[in-house]
Amino acid sequence: MDVDPKLLEILVCPLTKTTLIYDRERQELISKKAALAYPIRDGIPVMLPDEARALSESEQR
Amino acid sequence: MSEHKEDTVAFGFREVGADEKKGLVREVFSSVASRYDLMNDLMSAGVHRLWKDAFVDWLNPQPGMAILDVAGGTGDIAFRMAKRARAKGGAAAITICDINLAMLKAGVKRPEASDSSITWVCGDAENLPVETGSQDAYTIAFGIRNTTHLDQVLSEAYRVLKPGGRFLCLEFSKVAAPGLDRLYDVYSFAVLPRLGEMVAGDGAAYRYLAESIRRFPSQTAFAKMIVKAGFSQVKFRNLSGGIAAMHSGWKI
Repeated sequence: MDVDPKLLEILVCPLTKTTLIYDRERQELISKKAALAYPIRDGIPVMLPDEARALSESEQR
Repeated sequence: MSEHKEDTVAFGFREVGADEKKGLVREVFSSVASRYDLMNDLMSAGVHRLWKDAFVDWLNPQPGMAILDVAGGTGDIAFRMAKRARAKGGAAAITICDINLAMLKAGVKRPEASDSSITWVCGDAENLPVETGSQDAYTIAFGIRNTTHLDQVLSEAYRVLKPGGRFLCLEFSKVAAPGLDRLYDVYSFAVLPRLGEMVAGDGAAYRYLAESIRRFPSQTAFAKMIVKAGFSQVKFRNLSGGIAAMHSGWKI
């Protein structure tokens, strides 16, 4: 299930308040600044740092 | 109970670590998510519907309005707002944000959720994943009581609003009518947890509910906090003799 584009327009990283990159393949929203990937579960972005995956060093580049 | 240490917050009548409350509240709502709407009806004899209608009346949602409904869980407020805007000839853009994914998933399953003006996101009221100055209105109904740091929630509400945007909160409050207060105590501490046990299979969750209501600041104390967060023209209205109250403020 894809995330609604209207929602993507207003979402930011909850920690840094910076814009996110939508990774459709992995169903993740990536915050480069926080080095976190927030999961999307059943089309619902889960914007909680505790639930996010830490980006690997290569992903942070 | 009157003593507050710096690093503890109220979880019902217990003092718990500030870090701990979020997890405890999450457990409460995860455990009752699937039967939450039914419980609300039973607990309030349907009156919560009238309160929610009054809340949406006060906001008066318009087509094109960007509204963030925080702690919007199963969609009760958002669905009303969406319907109201559509009755005026167009869609609003309503985002439901709740820290509890189980509550959101229960909401998505409801038939009204197919309305395209509604989107869903899991997020924390204290650290909203929403762009600064992007919203015309911020609503929170029966949610702010369950957050850990009220001042932080209010400051985030202020941040996400556009200049001219409005904050609106609906929450259980302090009963003002004499006599009603004692009756209400009996109901909430004796009847409510038992009802919760029978219907949602979780009496402890509903005991928390009753306790957390008593711990929440009074109408005037809460209004002062809203002013302190930067809002102007802060007003409140009592519902059902103060069992619930609505607070409104503007970001000027």
